[in-house]
Parts: sequence; C-alpha cells; structure tokens
Amino acid sequence: MESLYILIPVAVVFCFLAIKLLLWAVNSGQYDDLDKEAWRILAEEERAKPEQRNGDD
Amino acid sequence: MGKSRSATPVPPETSDSCYHCAETIPADYHLFASIEGSQQPVCCPGCKAVAELIDSSGLAAFYQLRTSFNERPEQTALDASYASYDLPENQSGFVSRDDDTASARILVTSISCAACTWLIEQGLSRVPGIEYADVNLAEQALQVRWRDSEIKLSRIFSELAALGYRAYPWRAREAEEALAQQQRRSLSELAVAGIAMMQVGMFGIALHAGGMQGIAEEYRDLLRWVSLLVATLVVGYSARSFFRNTWNNLCRGHLVMDLPVALAIGLAWLASCWATVSSTGEVYFDSIAMFTFFLLLGRFLEQRIRRREMLRQSDLTSLLPGLVKRQVNNNTEEVALTQLKTGDLVLPYVGESLPADGLVVSGQGHVDEAAFSGEHFPRNISTGDRVAAGTLLLDGELSVQVETLGEDTRIGQLLQLTHRAADDKPALQSFADRVAAYFVATILCIAAAVAWYWWQHEPSRALWITLSVLVVSCPCALALATPAALAAAGSGLRHKGIILLGANTLEQLPKIDTLVFDKTGTLTQGRVSILETRCHGDLDTETCLGLAAALEQSNRHPIASAFRGMAVDKSVSNIEVHVGSGVSGQWQSTELRLGAPGWCEQLNPGMGATPTDQGRWIAMTTANQLLAWFKLGDELREDAVSAVHALQGIGLELELLSGDSSDEVDMVAETLGIEQRHRAQTPDQKLSHIHALQASGKCVAMVGDGLNDAPVLAAANVSFAVAGATDVAKARADIIIASERLASLPETLLTATRCRRVMYQNFAWALCYNALAVPFAAMGAIPPWAAALGMSLSSLLVVINSLRLN
Repeated sequence: MESLYILIPVAVVFCFLAIKLLLWAVNSGQYDDLDKEAWRILAEEERAKPEQRNGDD
Repeated sequence: MGKSRSATPVPPETSDSCYHCAETIPADYHLFASIEGSQQPVCCPGCKAVAELIDSSGLAAFYQLRTSFNERPEQTALDASYASYDLPENQSGFVSRDDDTASARILVTSISCAACTWLIEQGLSRVPGIEYADVNLAEQALQVRWRDSEIKLSRIFSELAALGYRAYPWRAREAEEALAQQQRRSLSELAVAGIAMMQVGMFGIALHAGGMQGIAEEYRDLLRWVSLLVATLVVGYSARSFFRNTWNNLCRGHLVMDLPVALAIGLAWLASCWATVSSTGEVYFDSIAMFTFFLLLGRFLEQRIRRREMLRQSDLTSLLPGLVKRQVNNNTEEVALTQLKTGDLVLPYVGESLPADGLVVSGQGHVDEAAFSGEHFPRNISTGDRVAAGTLLLDGELSVQVETLGEDTRIGQLLQLTHRAADDKPALQSFADRVAAYFVATILCIAAAVAWYWWQHEPSRALWITLSVLVVSCPCALALATPAALAAAGSGLRHKGIILLGANTLEQLPKIDTLVFDKTGTLTQGRVSILETRCHGDLDTETCLGLAAALEQSNRHPIASAFRGMAVDKSVSNIEVHVGSGVSGQWQSTELRLGAPGWCEQLNPGMGATPTDQGRWIAMTTANQLLAWFKLGDELREDAVSAVHALQGIGLELELLSGDSSDEVDMVAETLGIEQRHRAQTPDQKLSHIHALQASGKCVAMVGDGLNDAPVLAAANVSFAVAGATDVAKARADIIIASERLASLPETLLTATRCRRVMYQNFAWALCYNALAVPFAAMGAIPPWAAALGMSLSSLLVVINSLRLN
C-alpha cells in the first residue's frame, strides 16, 4: 500500500496539468465561440458526403 | 463542391413561404430562384438575388446546413453607402494595417445560425484579395484580412450585403469587452471546478468506503491532505465569485442567494481543513467541489442563453452615414461625417439617412420619418422645411444647411433620453434573493440551537454535529432552482424564435398587468399596402393593379412597395417619376398617371372627387378616363387580432401609444378592441406616460419597434422588440421576437408563468429536502457520504424538473 504515497501525488500532478492545459486553451480564445465550433464538425462531414454517396448509390 | 450531390434540397416549411427567409409569399406572387437546378419560391427580388448568388457560388449546401431561416435582405443596400468605409477617417478603430495587408473586425448583425458563419467564411474566401475570414457566432463578429492593393474595404461590405447580411464596423465598447472577459473567466472557473470535482470525488469515494469499512489512519490522512489541496483550489479560484458577490452585497446591505452559498462553502472548507490538520472529525471536500461545480454550471448555462444577442450596434455612428457630399462654393466634395461643420451645405444621397439636423435651402423630396414619428407615409419636403438627422431620404434632391450635429441632433437627444431611461429602470430583487435572507436566518438559528443543545449534553460532538447541520442544509438545490428554470425556459423560447436578453425578465413577466403597444410596425406591418381597389373604367381589378404595378415597378418610394410583387402589365412604357406627385407612363398611346388626386386631376379634370371614406387614396387615370382608386394603408399583422384577444384573455390591460397622428390609430384600436389609446405622442410624452403608469403602481410591458420607442422600451418593466425593429430598439428590449408572429407575446407570458411555477416547485422541493435532512443531521445521524449523496440527488431533481420547460 506504500505505492499510494507515489500514485496519489502523481494523480494530483496530472490533475494540475489538465487544469493548466484547459486554462491555456480558454485564455488563448479556443472556447470563445462555443456555438460555431460545435457545429463546424458537421459541416465538414456534409461537404465530404457527395463523393461517398456516389460510391454507395 | 456540390456539383455531384444527389440530395434534394430541403423543402421550405410550406410551399407558400420563402425559400430564403421563410416569410409568407402573397398568393398572387410568383417569383422563383433556381437552386441546384430546381425552382424554389421566394418572396422578393432581394431574396432571389441572395439565394441565386449563394447557389451560383457553389454554396447551396448552406440551405441544408442552416438550422434557422435567414432575415429578409434589405432592398435599400447601396454601394455608395459603403464607399465611406474606404476613407481613412472612418476606418480608425476597426481596421489595422500591416505592410500590404489590412485586417478589420466587422459586426454582422443578421447572423441567424451557425451555417451563416460557414456561408460568410466560404463566400468571402472566394473573393480574390481576401486572405482570411473568420466569423465568431457568439459575438457576431467577422475578422477579415485582405490585400490592400487588390480590393477595397467597401467591396467586403458589399459582398456581405450580396449574401444578405447587414454589416457595420466593429466598435469595441467597454461593456462588450468586459462581457467577453467575463465569459472566459466563468468558463475557466467552471473547468477548474469540474476537473477538481472529479479528482476530489475519487479520493472522496475512498474516504467514504474507508469510513464504512475502516481505514488505516495514515492513508486516511494522506487522502484528506490531497483532497484539501485540490479542494482549496476550487474554493480559492472557482468559488471566489460567490465570496466577492456576497461581500459586495453585504457592504450595500443586501442579502443575496450567494450568501448561503458562500457560507456553506466557506464553513465546510474551514471545518474540513481543521479536521485534516487535527486528524479528527469529518471532511466534506468532495461535497464542496461538487456543489461549486453544479452552481457554476447552472449559472454558466443560464448566462449563455442570454448572451448571444446582447451585442447590438446602437450608437449614433451606426445610424448616420459615414460619408457626406458637401457643397463648397460651386463644387461638391465627399467628406467624412466627422468633418462636417455647422453652416455647411450638404447634399444627402437618396436611399440614405440624413447626416445632420438642418434647414432645406433648395430642392424637393420625400423623407421617411417612420422611425421618429411612427408615421408610415413619407413626408413631402421642400425649401424652408426642417429635416432631422437619421431620417431616410427616399427620393428627390435636397440641399440642406447644417444646423446641429452629432449628440445635439434630435436623434442624438433621443439616444441620450434612452440611456437615461435605462438607468432609471426599476430594479427588481429576484425571488431567490428574497428567499435567501430567510433561509440564512433560519439555518443560523437552527445551527445555534443544535450547538447549544449538544454543548450541554455531549461537548465533544457539538462542533461536528453543528457543522454537519450547516453542510447538510447546503443550499445547492435552492441556489440552482432559479438558474436551472430560467435556462430551460430560455432555450425553449429560443426554439420558438423568442430571444431573452434581460436578466430578470422571466421573473418579472408574470407580474405584468399593463401591456402598451406601439402601432406602426408593431401591430401593423409597418409598410404601405393596398387596402382597397375601386375600379371606375371598364377594366377589372387585376388589370388595374397590373398597370399600377408596371408604373411603380422601379420606383423606390414606399408607396411603390405596395404594388410590388404583382404581375406587371408589360404594355406600359416611358415611365417617369414625378417627385411629390406620382408616376406617369405611356399606355395604349395615351398618358397614364398614378398618384396624388390633385396631380391626376390636372390630366383628367373631369375625374370626380376623391372618395370620402377614411384613409389615403391615390388615383390612376388617363386623360379622359378615371381607371381606379386605390386605398393605401398600413395593414395589421396577420395574427394581431387573435394575439390581442389572447392577451386580453390572460387579463392584461392593453393600451395603444402611437406617434402617428392620423385617424388610423383609432381604426386600429377599434379593430383590435383596445380602449386606451393615445396618438401623436412624442418620445418624451411616451416616456412620461409609462412613468405615470408605473407611478400609479402598474407593472408595465411595452411592445415596440422604432427609434421613437427606444426610451419607453428602456423604461418599461419588461419590453419586447418585434421582428424588423430598429437595432436601437432591439438593444433596449428585454425580449426580441424574431418571428413575424404576434402570438409570440401570449406564448412568452405563458412560458413565464410556467417558469415561475417550476421555480416555486424547485424552491419547495429544496426547502423540503432541508426540512427532512436537517433534523437527522441535528441528531448526528448523517455521515459525510450521505450528505454528498443527498445534495447531488436534490440538485438533480431540481434540474430534471426544470428541463420540463425546455
């Protein structure tokens, strides 16, 4: 059980790293437009579709 | 792309609504746009042009991608008005330059859904010379970079107009910048709380399991210490807004919902820290992190519903032209508006707003003052008349001597009046905050009683039992009760095209007892249409309308718009517009006139008298035969009668407050059954009328659309701006009705009533939960895991109950 003394601090370090990364992402403006980004992935797919569809038909 | 697609275009909702903007197409109107090879019905040439441009650019996929319909493009967009953006004076503030490239931030106000951002980005990036275009949907901002040597900024504006979007230079205002910062901050706080909650929760499960099965003290302390570390981050970073808010309000003597929240978080954290350090008692770190995350999430979602439309261009610069033509001696020069001085002679452009208040020294024309006066017929202007900045010059040529500029103009003062009225708007303490005060007092009393009792009987447990009472009574569900209900109701309304802007709007709405309507553009459609046709010759109605439509087809005058969309009789030629009188043309080799009765009588002296019925009549005649009389007016919106009846059914007192001075105010009021009516009201009078109503104890809602309604919209307890309202009015409204339906008004009121009911249920449940849990805690029978579970379950119930509103 002594391994907990290493594993738990490691988990906490990862947790802080994740927070750091997220804060960086927010502050660099990546989350400024939540509506568009959520939607854009669908638009890309929509544009790729015609070629695929021709193959299926 | 798009060439090989086999998908059929999504049909519009009904075949008689426009493919582009979904407005209803008149039954006798036949105009089609060819989209991907098939003919789609459209409502006006503007929509046709935009839709076909989108199709020919290979961007027709937009119509499948969009999730809401577009706004109807404005027909008055003029390339000349964009030329002003090429002047360096007018570019300061939103354009920056770097060697050969320039970049600008542009506000695009008519973006209706995410597909619009795609259309704009794709459309602009195909224009040679534009390097980069990116639209931020939340801010409605377009960031564009282009090569100065290849294209001009005005071209970008006209490209946007061609795609059907209205664009303005971005004016950074402090409030908006602060809002963007605030958005980032709440997201960061939420993210930290979320990650930390998962981490502390993991340790929490180990601790709870240990609490039940037994755990070695060294591992228990290890888990407590790491939990302390992570939870401290939550308390110190994510929850700081609760502490700050509580403190600020306490300083002003207000008790708000944040007080019990801050109290619960602060006390639980302090006690848990003490337990960790002294290795005794219980820790509640997992509850703290979870509680903070839930609350932040609720608030974040509620704010997000309201944020999107808050950015509206409503200052003076957006209402006046940037470029004016000035007459100096016998030459004319184009200068920026800012260079204009009192006493200058300006020659306003047709189709644009006037740049300043002034005196007409020569010329004749028509100005549209609807925004000011609510008068939908244009005013005839000639030498010696005064004109106001911001009114639209419809036709003719004027030379205006500038008398006042900028803030001192009538429109500038109207905006100032609006600002003042907004500052005086009665503030309402939210229901949650009123509950909070009683809640805090009750909980503190109970805690004191519990502490006293246990101190008498078992002093060693007194501290921990008192703390568990405070933690268990944690107001998580209580604090979520309002934001959860408001967010759900707000997103439900949004799907119906009703957009909430104000913070306490939904809470205020059920209190409304008086609803005040504007007339022009609110109850009516705000545009001239034909109310009646009387044929006098041997021609039938259809032929007469065809002839009239042919005469008016290329006229920009508002009266001409009444005839737009009708089948045009092609046998009319030599059409001429006579400013202030009407239009004439050649038909069957005689002269045909359509216009003011007096002017028509000059051609056909024996045509007889104008009909005596109420309303505005124009005649169509040849030299020897009167063909028809047309009665023109502003038609009521389609569902005005049913909406008004529905509102009266709810028990509201309705009033009509119009700037219009004509008999039409009475006619509209009679038709709708509104008894209280006031006509010829200036914006000042409207404002004092609302203030008087409020002073007599009424809770007033205002529905309006024009510039002249802006001060009243700002002052009313709750205000609605209808579809097609000016941006100034929208900026002051609490609720924007984006669809053409007035039925949205009773719908919004009903949703608000339902929302209030759900809020009360949420509060009732949250208080019930406390009433059940606190006695057990006071007996010392609630362990930390039960406290955490109870808190999450009660919050979940509140959220699920609120989702019924969606």
